[in-house]
Amino acid sequence: MAEDDRLELPSYLEHTPDVKKRIETLRGRPVVMSVESLGREFDANGVRTTALSRVSFEVRQREFISVIGPSGCGKSTLIRILAGLDYPTSGTVRLDGRAVQGPGADRGMVFQAYTLFPWLTVKKNVMFGLKMKGVARATAEQMALEWLGVVGLSEAADKYPGQLSGGMKQRVAIARALANEPRILLMDEPFGALDAQTRCSMQAHLLRIWEAVDVTVLFITHDLEEAVYLSDRIVVLGANPGRIVEIIDVPVSRPRSPAQFLSGHFLATKQRLEELIHGPQMFQRIRAA
Amino acid sequence: MSELAEGEVDASTFDPMEEPVRPRLLAVRQPLSSRATFSVGVLAFAIPFLLWCALSYLPFLWHPLVLVQDAGDTSVPGTYAYLAEGQLVEREVFVARNLELSRAHKKLATGERSNPIYFQPPHAVGRALYTAFTTPPEGIGDVWFHESLLQSCKVIFWGFFWSAVFGIPLGIACGTFSFFSRLFEPFVDFIRYMPAPVFGALAVSIFGLAEEPKIAIIFIGTFFQMVLVVANTTRTVDLSLLHAAQTLGAKNRQLVWHVVIPGILPALYRDVRILIGWAWTYLVVAELIGEKTGLSAFIYQQQRYRHFDNVYAAIVIIGLVGLGIDQLLAFLGRYFFPWESGNLRLFRLARSVRQAIPWGLRPEPGVAPTR
Repeated sequence: MAEDDRLELPSYLEHTPDVKKRIETLRGRPVVMSVESLGREFDANGVRTTALSRVSFEVRQREFISVIGPSGCGKSTLIRILAGLDYPTSGTVRLDGRAVQGPGADRGMVFQAYTLFPWLTVKKNVMFGLKMKGVARATAEQMALEWLGVVGLSEAADKYPGQLSGGMKQRVAIARALANEPRILLMDEPFGALDAQTRCSMQAHLLRIWEAVDVTVLFITHDLEEAVYLSDRIVVLGANPGRIVEIIDVPVSRPRSPAQFLSGHFLATKQRLEELIHGPQMFQRIRAA
Repeated sequence: MSELAEGEVDASTFDPMEEPVRPRLLAVRQPLSSRATFSVGVLAFAIPFLLWCALSYLPFLWHPLVLVQDAGDTSVPGTYAYLAEGQLVEREVFVARNLELSRAHKKLATGERSNPIYFQPPHAVGRALYTAFTTPPEGIGDVWFHESLLQSCKVIFWGFFWSAVFGIPLGIACGTFSFFSRLFEPFVDFIRYMPAPVFGALAVSIFGLAEEPKIAIIFIGTFFQMVLVVANTTRTVDLSLLHAAQTLGAKNRQLVWHVVIPGILPALYRDVRILIGWAWTYLVVAELIGEKTGLSAFIYQQQRYRHFDNVYAAIVIIGLVGLGIDQLLAFLGRYFFPWESGNLRLFRLARSVRQAIPWGLRPEPGVAPTR
């Protein structure tokens, strides 16, 4: 590609007025989850490896925040600690000011692997969390059907997970997590196992749900476009040890649409992510080639 | 087209429908066609049966003995003069006797080649399968065939029942909690290597001569295996399902009841089917300790009366009952786990029964979801 053929992109730090306003509003919202100087070390056969080192950030009410980074940067370890499925070796995670200890219904989670209970119908899967809480059967059933309506799967209520496609399974998983009305929805590469086309429609679907429902989302991904397309802010992690490299306020206006994939701000953000993740030298090498 | 070498097929005119690919009978790791599956399955039983028929009915194949029909002139002395009508003797003996008789120029013995008494032809066993049920017991204290069959089934049932009642929960506990695994499994492993029959004498002195020691032997034979098998099955529960349940607010006991147990049910059911087979193998040993009872006692007693047709009939019946139970469980299994089989019939039946019951378990009117 000739040098003059390159697009003239705006800086990713440049914000249009409506983006600026959105960022301002977000900063004014209360903090839902705060991650304070989180560290996690693993000890395997006497070899100490640091998976996470002094990771700190805050997630605000109704924010959509993504965590992105190269493989081995500790993304999954981080979200497992936030969910309470793993523990930090230093630092704390606070939810509404209280330190997190172990998993709980206040943090819903959608996993990359399909984790619907195969022996329960779709409706009963969504009712699971409510049943654990002791919600009456009839009420739980009604709520489950409502949430299935939100993800657009009302007709599948009596099917078993084995009868659903991958995308449908993840939509049910989202409904199941949301039915519990968690303070924050943790999503660990939820669309990683889906094909490109399904992933695309799932992203649009997730945005619509997030707009319609009062929920805060923390989303882990390794897909740069996905992160830019979905998020308000992107936490970029570096590897060895896993640490925060930069937190980017996404300069793309809302509501989002696939047309924005080619907008200047979108591309500029994506370019910055690419630089951060693959390193500037590698990026220059590719550009030179 | 003329450019094609001999034997080559022009791709443009090749019609795959013209010559259907026939699956080969011997293809590495390939399934058989449905017709072949059926006929080979029939052969599995037909070949041993035909072999049995051949050995029974073709006198030149085996028939190592001679059934004496006429002993010839019994006044001729000789080493083999004991030959009498109706006797089964070795062929060499029969020939030697006739040699003695022919040297004396007397009437020769006649007889027909026959198999040993322990080798019964199919028709005799087939007849015994019926007559075993209709023949009254011979000796005092002997029981009818169907009574001994019932005794056996009872012993199996209770032995297996008690080992399941204790073994399944213990196995699930061991598979779920490392604490219980560490507490029980080493000891269970230790006992498992002691053959159940060695406890026979102990069982008799503790429980007496009746059914109890037999039930105890079957319990010992299956219980310890069951704990380990169920524990291993429990460990196959997908960890990510447990994690998902935890993020949905499930606590320890809820995890066991709502994730671990339903998650292993189909596998547990398959385990039970295999373990019932174990129980049957211990049946014969168990029934011969203390007072002999059940099918084993019947077999033992028929062997003493030299009714080998009945012996075979009883063995076949044990096989048939075992196979029957296994097939019945396999058949029912297809209805129990609709998420694996896709068979919703039992599920629908349960739902309609629940809805037919006028009290409880129904969504209250007014809050019933609209569909």
